[in-house]
Order: sequence, then structure tokens, then C-alpha cells
Amino acid sequence: MGDLVSDIQNLFSVQGDFFIGKEVKDKTAIYIMGFSTLIDLPKSNLYVRQIAAASSSVKELFTNLSDKLDTDINQLKKAILDGKLVIISEGGKHNAIVDPVSRNLTRSVTEPQSESPLQGPIDAFVEDIDINIGLIRKRLTSERLCHCSYEVGDLGSRKVSMLYVKGSVPEDLIKKVDQQIKQIDADIETVDDFNRVFGRRRFNLVSHFFQTELPNQATHSLRTNRIVLFLDNYPYALVFPHLLWDMFSPSIDRDFPSLVAYGLRALRVFGVIVNVLLPALYVAIISINPEVLKIDLALFVSESRQGIPFPALLETIIMVGLVDLILEAIVRLPKSVGPTITMVGGIILGQAMVEAKLVSTLLVIVTTAIVISGSVVSGIPNSLYIRLLRYPILIIAAIYGILGVFAGFLFIIVYLASLTSNGIPYTAFRMNRKEDAK
Amino acid sequence: MKKVNKTVIFSMLLLIVLSGCWDNKDIDKRVLPLVIGIAKGDNHDYEVTVQIPITKSSGLMSRIVTSKAQTVSRALGEIQTNSENAVDYSQVRLVVIQRNLASNPKELKQLIKFLMTSKEIPLNAQLAFTNESTVKLLSNINNKLGVDATSLFDYFNKGVGWAPGISNTRIWEAYRSLYSYTDDLTIPVVDSGKDTVLIYKGAAALKKGRLTQTVNLDENQLINLFKNHNADGKIENVDFASVMVKRSTIRNQALIEGNTPTVTTDLKLKIDILEVHSGITNDQIKHKLEKLIEKRFYHVFNQSKKNETDLFGFGQYYRGQIPYADLKNWRTTYYPNLKVNFHAQVSSE
Repeated sequence: MGDLVSDIQNLFSVQGDFFIGKEVKDKTAIYIMGFSTLIDLPKSNLYVRQIAAASSSVKELFTNLSDKLDTDINQLKKAILDGKLVIISEGGKHNAIVDPVSRNLTRSVTEPQSESPLQGPIDAFVEDIDINIGLIRKRLTSERLCHCSYEVGDLGSRKVSMLYVKGSVPEDLIKKVDQQIKQIDADIETVDDFNRVFGRRRFNLVSHFFQTELPNQATHSLRTNRIVLFLDNYPYALVFPHLLWDMFSPSIDRDFPSLVAYGLRALRVFGVIVNVLLPALYVAIISINPEVLKIDLALFVSESRQGIPFPALLETIIMVGLVDLILEAIVRLPKSVGPTITMVGGIILGQAMVEAKLVSTLLVIVTTAIVISGSVVSGIPNSLYIRLLRYPILIIAAIYGILGVFAGFLFIIVYLASLTSNGIPYTAFRMNRKEDAK
Repeated sequence: MKKVNKTVIFSMLLLIVLSGCWDNKDIDKRVLPLVIGIAKGDNHDYEVTVQIPITKSSGLMSRIVTSKAQTVSRALGEIQTNSENAVDYSQVRLVVIQRNLASNPKELKQLIKFLMTSKEIPLNAQLAFTNESTVKLLSNINNKLGVDATSLFDYFNKGVGWAPGISNTRIWEAYRSLYSYTDDLTIPVVDSGKDTVLIYKGAAALKKGRLTQTVNLDENQLINLFKNHNADGKIENVDFASVMVKRSTIRNQALIEGNTPTVTTDLKLKIDILEVHSGITNDQIKHKLEKLIEKRFYHVFNQSKKNETDLFGFGQYYRGQIPYADLKNWRTTYYPNLKVNFHAQVSSE
């Protein structure tokens, strides 16, 4: 047995699924090795044997199998880890990296899980990065669509792809992103790790990426001068830079008549404002500034709160917190249990709490409005951070009343306006082609 | 960086603790008086009555609370003290002043000043006078069937097109007129009614805190017209027909020669004829109505001239034409000489 083979064998001696097989061709032993968990061994063996039968010599066999011949041990090691089949002849004279018949470890293109496009294409990105890029290429058949791929990371290398349309994205932005990705030295385990590459935000509420599961949305982003990034084993496209307007206008809107689309967007903006301000307004009006209510309404509100033991702030925090708990629980629970919890939660929150006079009926209405309006924006991370925003406003409102509500809202707008990704403000409406991306 | 974070968090906590807002009263822990009645008691003290709606699921009822004290603010404070809940005057919509207090110019002036400067009572609450005892007026609301606690306030806020003759005077307007050289106003006078909660008894003209004359509903309507309120929905009775005003426009032109100011006023009314005796033409109705309105105008105008009370606010047109130093003499020097050419022009649709 040659040195090379034993070296590799030693290297992988602790791997239970490392496989090494021996074949004889022209009285020369050849060793076939790889991970049985990544490679479909019987089929790959058969393939090698068939080629061997057709080849006249060992050397010819190797050239027939692969064009990556006679590389060094590091590359062989990497190839094995990547799920390739490595063939070494006796004595280590020749070696080859062969693309084997792999085990099917990726799922096929299915419907999106976190977005539900109404009247639009329903294919979605999957874990495999090549399939994802294929889905884009299929839609954007232009030579101007550029694709740069990178491998980053320390412990496990991770593939990153950057797609953009040449000529529409500012050159210096591409250069900057390219540099930033190349500079990555730590592992990219999560999107948040990747986020950090583009500049850590101190209070990291809003990501640098708009995540989408829909190839249509990603293609639309490419058309509107954005960069789309892919991570392998992550079934979402990361649109860079992330703009505020993204969450209000998903590309699916464009399939509707423009007036309907504008209506939908107005509805989403309204939903977000309601979601952020309504609980705060409730607290402010009930406990600090009842004078803003018209008298009939004031009397009605006062009546609906008769006998409720909690102050408005506590009452609201209880309800809003409970609702957020339910929403979170539904996500975690298996699909068979989810609806039950929803029902029980709904009955307890809506019915029992009002009947027990723990919260007022008006607050139940407010809470319902919050739950509904929280999900109108596109993108789960967006919906989450908007849900988070209402808590600080709630606290400020409990202290300063209506003034606090609007001061808090102003501060949120100021905060959002202060966010930038590589110099592009988060609150920009669109990326201009000629925009200086400094 | 860590130090900064600690400071920020600490100051945030301080903000919550020091703001002192934890003892805020929720709306259900406050009582919200709607109407305040102020009268002069027997021993030179003030009698303050407030009407507080009680929120019970079985419809709205109200409670009348009376307190007597040397000053109004003290009486209000006593109500505050004796009440079970915090009394929040921010929803007060109407302040009713009894005649025995209103007819004393000095005290009325003082009262309006107090209402204006009091931080608790909203400045856009309406003012009204009553000839009766305020306690009786406010209690009347509980004796009427099917009337809820807000009806006293609703009475004055029927909206455009419903009873346009009622004058609406807010606290701040009354306060402003105390100091105005050129503008006077009317304050409605209401009494408790037999079948309805209130009966309109005309309006009292207020000149620098002094009540000079009373005008009836129709005359007050004219005054409202000059203040650019609409007359829509006003029903007029001519001898042989009754008509409804659909639209009204008024145009004033003010000139001054020496000490004689002259105002030319054109009032255009568009009417809808509701009822008419047989054999009467539209032109007859129009002519009659024009005469009627002109007569009505000159009646009020001549009376107000005698009282030196500029009810129509004609002085407002001369603010730019008379030197400011002379303006304070408007009521005494210029107003008695004022000539108004009033033309009413009626057209039907």
C-alpha cells in the first residue's frame, strides 16, 4: 500500500463512514475512497468498474474518469470532505478526483414555506445553492447577470454567491461587497454572522439583507439595481441592501393593476402604523390624556373599563405579551398541536379574560387589531422587528401620554433613518443606478 | 462602551421612576363632569353645581353635585375633595351661569377671567346663561325620560343645518371680547324645559362684561351670519308661506369719511319654499322675505347702536382704517354714527 493511501487512511481513521475499497486493474491495485454517507457507493463502484473495463491501461482509466489528476494530499482531503470519490493507484503514482453518483441529500424545488404568493409563481428557493442560482438564471437570461462565488469560513467552508446585473449596480458597491466577503475569516454560521460582515449595527434591529424565499422577488430585486447573495444550505436569497420600502411592496404586487397595488401598499403602511401605535395610544388615552376623547367615547371607554383591577399599562403589557407568546408558540409547535393552542389561547384571551374582568373589551379589540396588522408586511424578520418596536413606545406612552406616543414614533423614524448599509440609507425608496455607493 | 451602556440604562430607569407618572388615574378612576353651573349664593358666596354622568351599563344617568364656597375655584376644589374618584374637569363642555351672577359686570368679568386662566377647564367649553337656579336646570336632566347624560352638551352642538340660530360662545371668545375694542358677542340664555331638557330664551348681548340687551333667535341668526356662520336649514315664516334657507352668502364693504363709517352689506339667500298659500307667486314671497329680514336687521342694529354694543362686529372692518389709538373709542365715537346699507336679496331654486 502506498504512502498516500495510508496517509489519507490515517487522516480519516476516526470517521466511521469513511470507505476505502480496492480494485485490481492490469495487476495494479487501485484504491477507491470517499464518505459512504455522501456517495452512493454501489452505483459509483459500478461506474468505475465499467470505465475500467473500457480502458486499456491504468493511466487511461484515470484520464477517462476525471480531468483532475495527480493532485496533492490537501486537495484530495478536501475533495473527500466535499463528497467526491478519490481514486489512487498503488504506490500513489496516480490519483484522480471523480464526481461520483451522490446520495440525494437535497430536496427538490417546492412551494415556499414562509411566504404565500397569491396568484404568482409558487416555486421557492431550496438549500442547494446551485439550484437557487439556476432558478434565477432561468428567469434572467442575460449575459449581464454576473455571478461571483466564494468559499468562506474556517471550520466548515461555506459557499457564498453574489449575483448582480452588470451596469445597473454601482461598480464601487460591487467592489466593496466583494472585498467584504473576501475578508471574512470567521465561520458564517447564521445570517446574523453574515450580517456582521457588512458592518455591525450597534442595536441590531434591522438586518442588512432583505430575505426572500421567492425567485421572482429576487429577480425583481436584481432588476432594481440590487445585489442578491446566496449562502449554501440556506433556502433564502439575501437581497442587499435592505430598504424600508421592501416590506411594503413585494414584487407580487406588480401582477395586480397599479391602483390595486397602491391600495395594498397603503394598507400595509397603515397596518404597520396601527401595530406600532395602537397599544401605546390606548394606554396614553386611557391613563394620561382622556381629554382628547370625545365625550361620548370617553364615557363608553370609562364604562368598558369599570371594575378592571389593573392600570392600563399593565393590562396592555399582559395582553400584548400573551399574544406575542402565542405567536411564538405556534411557530415552535408541531403542526398538529398548533391549532389547538391557538384555539385555547383565543378563548382564554378573548372570552375568559373579559368575563373575569381582567382586561377590558376594548383592549381585546385593540389586541386583535395588533395581531392582524402585525403580519401585513412581507418578510418574517421585518414583521418581528415591528412587533418589537411597539414595546418602547408603550412604555414612553405610559409616561408622557399622547406626546410620548408621537415622540416615540419620531424617535423610531429617526432611528430607522440613521441606518445605512455600505452608505446606502435604509429609508431610501429605491436604488438609483447612478447613485454613488460610498 | 460598557460604561456608556450602563449610563444609558440607568438614566432610562431614572426616567421611569422620576417621571412620577405611576399614580396616573385611568379613565375609569376619574369622574368626568360635563356641565358646570355657577350661581351666586345667599351670603355672597358662589354656588357651584356640576353634572357628572354615571357610567352604568343600564344607560347613562347623571349625578348633580353642589358645593358652596367663597370662590369658584374653592368650590370646585371642595367637589374634588368630597368626590370618591378624581374629578377631571377636562371634559367640561358647558358652563352655565345664573342670571344673578351674570348681571353683575364686575363678577362676571372676574368669572370669565377665572375660567380662562384655570388650567383644568377647557377653553373651548361653551358659555350659557340661565334665568333659573342652576341646580334646578341641571337636575332637570334626570327627570326627563330617554335623555342621556350628554344631552345638555348635545343641545348646543346640533351641527350645521340644524337650528342655526343658536349662538355658540366659547370661554375664550368671551374672554377675548372683554378686551376687544371692536367686537361684542351674544351668549345664549336657556331655561329648563317642560318636555325637553332646555328651552332657548334668546341670547344676551355682552359688552365688556356688561349685559346690554337680549336678542331673539331670529335676530341672533343674523348676528351669526355676520360672523360667517351659515344660515343653512333655517326656516323662515312669511305671512303666507314658510321657506327654508338653503344657502347664504354675505358681503360687506366698509368705508369711512371723517367720523362717519358706512358699511354696505349684501346678503344673498337661496331659499326653498316649503309651504305656500294658494295664489301666491314666488316673487311675492321673495319680496316679503327681503323686507322681513331688512326690518329685522335694522331693529337689532338700531337697538345695539343705542346700547353702544357692536353685536355685528362692524368694528372689525375698520381695524385697518381707524388709527389704533382711536380704536378704543370705536363704540362711543364711531359706532353711534355708523350707517349700514343692508340689502337682502332672496332667490329661489
